Amino acid sequence: MDQGTIIEIQGLTKTFRGALEPAVKGISLSIGRNEIIGLLGPNGAGKTTTISILCGLFPATSGKINIDGMDMKGDLSSIKQIVGVVPQDIALYPTLTARENLDFYGHMYGLSGKLLKDKIDMWLENFGLTEAAKRKVNTYSGGMKRRVNLIAAILHDPKILFLDEPTVGVDVQSRNVIIDYLKKLNDNGTTIIYTSHHMDEAEHFCTKVAIIDNGTIIEQGTPAELISRYDACHNLESVFLQLTKRRLRD
Amino acid sequence: MIKKLLASVRKETLLLLRDRVGLAILFIMPMVLIFVMTLIQDSAFKTLNEKGIPVVFVNEDKDSLGITIEQGLRGSSLCAFSDSIDGQPATYETAKNAVADGKFLVGVVIPKGATDAIRKNVMQLVEETMSTDSVQTIAISDSVDITIFIDPITKKSFLTSITSSLREFISIVKTKIMFQTFSDQIAEIIPDQEKKPVNAFNKTQIIKYKEVFASKQIEEIVPNAVQHNVPAWTIFAMFFIVIPMAGSIMKEKNEGSVFRLHTMPSSYLLLINGKIITYIFVCMIQFVLMMSVGLYFLPMLGLPKLFMGNSYLALFIITLATAFAATGYGVMVGTIASTEQQGAIGGALSILLLSAIGGVWVPTYVMPGVMRDLSALSPLNWSLNSFYELFLRGAGVEAVWYDALKLILFFLLTMTVASIINRSNRKI
Repeated sequence: MDQGTIIEIQGLTKTFRGALEPAVKGISLSIGRNEIIGLLGPNGAGKTTTISILCGLFPATSGKINIDGMDMKGDLSSIKQIVGVVPQDIALYPTLTARENLDFYGHMYGLSGKLLKDKIDMWLENFGLTEAAKRKVNTYSGGMKRRVNLIAAILHDPKILFLDEPTVGVDVQSRNVIIDYLKKLNDNGTTIIYTSHHMDEAEHFCTKVAIIDNGTIIEQGTPAELISRYDACHNLESVFLQLTKRRLRD
Repeated sequence: MIKKLLASVRKETLLLLRDRVGLAILFIMPMVLIFVMTLIQDSAFKTLNEKGIPVVFVNEDKDSLGITIEQGLRGSSLCAFSDSIDGQPATYETAKNAVADGKFLVGVVIPKGATDAIRKNVMQLVEETMSTDSVQTIAISDSVDITIFIDPITKKSFLTSITSSLREFISIVKTKIMFQTFSDQIAEIIPDQEKKPVNAFNKTQIIKYKEVFASKQIEEIVPNAVQHNVPAWTIFAMFFIVIPMAGSIMKEKNEGSVFRLHTMPSSYLLLINGKIITYIFVCMIQFVLMMSVGLYFLPMLGLPKLFMGNSYLALFIITLATAFAATGYGVMVGTIASTEQQGAIGGALSILLLSAIGGVWVPTYVMPGVMRDLSALSPLNWSLNSFYELFLRGAGVEAVWYDALKLILFFLLTMTVASIINRSNRKI
């Protein structure tokens, strides 16, 4: 793995217990430092499974993963320290306030004291949540919850940030705030791996995309490269539809 | 590590404080249960001990036998004595009807002339005994029937107690009359009246019996509804934390917090330890509250004050061990359950079952043999037995350490099972 690569995936396979066929079939992918890579694919393509394995939620059936020079199997605990995960669902305690949620998750990342408090204050301010910080999360709008969900994953300044559909179900304003801050994080050196169904968002946000279908990567490159590769396509969505066809997925 | 653990405890405490239903289940429900169950069982205890069996008494004799039996029944803790029905003096017919209507469990009718019949019988016996005639023929007087009306629901043991008492009273009267008659006869033979003993019959009662409950306590403590119900329902409440605890674990699974925590550099065990510490603390608060009910609130309702034994160290050990066992069980149920409903229903039903087997609802000594053997399998029974040792027998640490050890082993077993299931669930 060269110095410019932060994640190296070789032959990643995952077969769930009782499943007839693998959810992920031998994916190989290199992700460079400071990249924003979008894993795009229809429902059930294997995006969330791939991200879940990469963030240590469950082990791969086979394959090799190296993250920032560390082997996934041997150094999982160290890897978790440099990784932040924004799950698709809002993973917050609804009856705790935003500040209480962030305080707890910050501690779980090993932060404490003034450092943690300053970080919480800063991110609440940046995401326009300072005034609402003492309110219980279950009183928040969907967009506010998404923002707190994101802050909980970046309090410890992770080198790599995994986001599973971070802008699903939020209004344009919240989406713009989230995307702007993700770009700022990326400018500060954070590698971002993200899944989305918003093709226009991915086209403008990602430096690289990998289109996944049926558990395998069927195409990868910069959005511009992919669009230019297919003559009839004028944007990422048309490339996506050409590659994955129009058939409905489960 | 410590900071992470403290953060986990803080989070758990905040979640608990904001769950009003959970708090009600943890603190108010068991306190209400103690009040209700103690009051109910206290009246049952009183039926046997204090108020006694409701007895209606008809004294048609109006002489020694009737008066002695009346005084005996009035003074007996076995009976709730009454000689009137609806404000009217009881008669043979009204007593019979009152027992048939269930107003009294037992009715006793001493017929007219009962004492005379005994006296006549004794006189004949004495005269024939003192007679110098060689051939003695003892004439038997007409027998007298004391009628006892019995409500069919009356337990046989109650009835035996009443008839035994009646036999004793009749025997006393008979002996007294016999003694008096013999004294009079002897006085006629030896006419020195000054030497005649005063209250001679009473002086013959040299053997008495005293009931003492075998206990190591300095003060005597009588087993009663308070001594049973307060520890029993305290243990029940401590184990009932399985519902909020399993609910809390399930919520974390459903709301995605566990997902996030699995991606963090903190072990799931640390999160669970935060729960265990918090809920053990909850159990200890429950214990203090429940004991305060027994010490201060139940006496306000006219119930006996709870006696907590002599060893606070032993009390702390068995309470802490019970708290560990209860929290371990909560973690196991929360880990096994797939939904909050499963956790709540499965947890509640299993605790009801374990508490019934364990002697919380009714003491194990009134259970059939098979159930008594089964009760030894319930951790609630291990705990309850230790509380009995402390509260009723005044024992110390030496009497509770074995049950405390069993409870700690139960905690370790439940944690092991939870850990295995959790690992298995993650190997998807």
